[in-house]
Amino acid sequence: MLLPQAKRSSRPPGGRSSSPQGAPPTFFMTPVAYQFIKRLLILFATLLLVSGVIFLVLQVIPGDPAQIILGIQATPENLQALRHKLGLDLPLPVQYWNWMSGALRGDLGVSITYDVPISELILSRLAVTIPLALLSIFFAVVFSIPLGIYAALHRNRPGDYGVMVFAQIGLAVPAFWAGILLILFFAVYLQWFSAGGFKSWMESPLGALKSLLLPALSLGLIRAAVLARLTRSCMLEALGEDFVRTARAKGLAERVVVYKHALRNALIPVVTIVGLQMGELLAGAIVIENVFNLPGLGRLVFLAIGQRDLPVVQGVSLLIAFFIVLVNFAVDVIYGVVDPRIRAGSEEI
Amino acid sequence: MEIQAKRGKWMGLFLLFSCLVMGGFFTSEANAQKPVPGGTLTISLAAEPSGLDPTTNPSAAIKRVVHYNLLEGLLKVDRNGRVVPALAKSYSVSKDGKEHTFVLHSGIKFHDGNPCTAEEVKFTFERLLDPKTAAPYRMYYEAIESIQAVDPTTVKFKMKKVDSNFLFNMARGDAVIVSQQSADRLKSAPVGTGPFKFVEWKRGDSVIMAKNPDYYVKGLPYLEKVTFKFIPDPSAQLAALRAGDIEVIAYDLAPENVPALERDARFKVLKGNTTTDAILAMNHSKKPFNDPKVRQAITLAIDRKAVIQGAVGGYGTPIGSHMDPTNPYYVDLSGLYPYNPQKAKQLLTEAGYPDGFEAILKLPEPYAYARRSGEIIADQLSKVGIKLTLEVIQMGQWVDRVFKNADYDLTVMGHAEPFDIEIYSRPNYYFRYNNPKFLELIKKAEGEMNEQARKKIYEQAQRMLADDFVNVYLFIYPALPAMKKEVMNWWKDYPTIVVDAGEVYIQK
Repeated sequence: MLLPQAKRSSRPPGGRSSSPQGAPPTFFMTPVAYQFIKRLLILFATLLLVSGVIFLVLQVIPGDPAQIILGIQATPENLQALRHKLGLDLPLPVQYWNWMSGALRGDLGVSITYDVPISELILSRLAVTIPLALLSIFFAVVFSIPLGIYAALHRNRPGDYGVMVFAQIGLAVPAFWAGILLILFFAVYLQWFSAGGFKSWMESPLGALKSLLLPALSLGLIRAAVLARLTRSCMLEALGEDFVRTARAKGLAERVVVYKHALRNALIPVVTIVGLQMGELLAGAIVIENVFNLPGLGRLVFLAIGQRDLPVVQGVSLLIAFFIVLVNFAVDVIYGVVDPRIRAGSEEI
Repeated sequence: MEIQAKRGKWMGLFLLFSCLVMGGFFTSEANAQKPVPGGTLTISLAAEPSGLDPTTNPSAAIKRVVHYNLLEGLLKVDRNGRVVPALAKSYSVSKDGKEHTFVLHSGIKFHDGNPCTAEEVKFTFERLLDPKTAAPYRMYYEAIESIQAVDPTTVKFKMKKVDSNFLFNMARGDAVIVSQQSADRLKSAPVGTGPFKFVEWKRGDSVIMAKNPDYYVKGLPYLEKVTFKFIPDPSAQLAALRAGDIEVIAYDLAPENVPALERDARFKVLKGNTTTDAILAMNHSKKPFNDPKVRQAITLAIDRKAVIQGAVGGYGTPIGSHMDPTNPYYVDLSGLYPYNPQKAKQLLTEAGYPDGFEAILKLPEPYAYARRSGEIIADQLSKVGIKLTLEVIQMGQWVDRVFKNADYDLTVMGHAEPFDIEIYSRPNYYFRYNNPKFLELIKKAEGEMNEQARKKIYEQAQRMLADDFVNVYLFIYPALPAMKKEVMNWWKDYPTIVVDAGEVYIQK
């Protein structure tokens, strides 16, 4: 399998893989605490690096925020006044320092377009995007893993071909197009759902969930296709292993062989990919939130880029980076749960 | 397209016929025309406004939500393009044109209950002229010397010089009357005098407003609640209308979606004009575009009809100069220099380019009509030997390179500002058109108080732009509002940048 290796290399350097050799100083803290602090430091270093890159990139892209806000007819005096108001006339290091010191206090500044604190804005958007991401992962996992197992157990039989055709279609269809088809069928033709928009959780929790179903489905289908193929091939690989033959030879029930022995081993790469997909979902959400007109984080950052609402773009990018680093960490933990060998390994350190 | 047009004709005949028959059954036609109060309306707009203050940010998206609905000026431009009274019930100009007097309706109240009097008018314009406010269109009001609140309902503007555009400028969204108590909250919670009160701005989703029961025009508005919902994607807009999430697409149904919606008996599409002049701009500071012969050749080599068909589904109005048909001074020059590729070739030869030349056409990425127009124009110009390279660029880049630094050969752009012909009097504007005679004309028009004489001057100005082949004037971007059949009194044409729900009603 190529993918788990790719995952390993994407881990921050100095992670667990190097630990068994490099003996950590254990005289003033427990090894687990040492690992934790090391991870925390890496997390901060990563975020610092990312924040610097985000800041610089936004300085380089063409388009003066003041000009975009005031329009093409703006007079030079007005432009200068607005730049001053936005703090854009300060030297770059000072701007960066102001941003970062604010961010550490949890203050990401005020949105130029919406005139509300950015942290507040992001929180309200997360109430859309996080449930959307979770729901689509839920759909992806619920569809794909049983399908993948089924296909592996019925290899080269019609059921397997059926699953593979579904997976091919899922891979070929872009999420936004799947979204449009779902809208046409369920909203325009059947009128079961609204064609887009979002009811807030406060107003009606069920309505909010309902408005996320179609977008989550269109995001989830593509993921399901990837996961179904992966589950199938990993299952096939695991079913061919010696320990499965041994289990069968012991006379274990086929159900136990498949689910306890083969599946648990096959799931490790699948969990890795699910984790990677979580991070990727935020990017996927940009497109789907526009198709379904959902006021989520993706749409926020999409519009903010167009309107050069730089504080918002910076804040959201930082958050996404933070989120991806965090998900990577969570994936490592879940590995341990799925595969006891990894857990045992980490306890040895 | 032919077949569809024919079918459209038959449909038209059929509808006409059925209307006549129905008319016989329902003799009380007048009853059906009578506005009915009540109901709510959800209207979609593509762009979410950046803040809700039209006085400090020139964005059209802001005016479309707040102007007329929440905030009003002394005057307004009505749906026929005429300047008519709004908060002022009457107005007059002194003989020398240097003093304007406005008389307000009595008993006007802001949504927060404070009265709106001459004092607020004075405050509004003093705020607008204060450099600290950084009003983007302060120049429209710079001819004001002083403002005097004579009594609670009378206000006098003393002018530094005669400015015949003053009344039109008073009707712009920049000149809405605001109160001292709430001016600094305009951006997030505007308080005005309009037929609707601001309720909530759900950022990223919608702006909600409710009927103002104390509105000074008795009987208005009809609607109880209006929601502006922001749906940027054209197909998402269409789906939302069909699924019943929204009742109206304010003015910008995508042209390619018109036929589909027209076949659906539940909806209607109005086809009108906006103030957006789509032009092929030419850089006069660059060779060979400094040669009028070359510019004429380009003009003659472009078939506007084909451009309109391909870029906006055939719905735009062809133009021959920089003015839109909703403007009272408009004169139709679209037939002045018709499509003539042979003559174009001959002119190129006379100008010293018998084999044509190569140039770059820069197209702004956000505007589909501009990109499509560019593709068609490139094809048409290639037939007379002019080879264009298309470059699609981001808006930020367009502003920076094309607009500010005139670093371009050709570009396609829609000029949305109403009545903006004066841009041609600025030699450093991005066309780099430098004609002192034109500047003279504009100055003369601004100082001319006689309406007939003014019209003549503006006609002359339009002709001068056409005869100088300053740019290629392609078409007026169509207004395509689409809505449920029951929605009545919606605007067809958009002579100013506004989406007015104040007189709209829902037929029961």
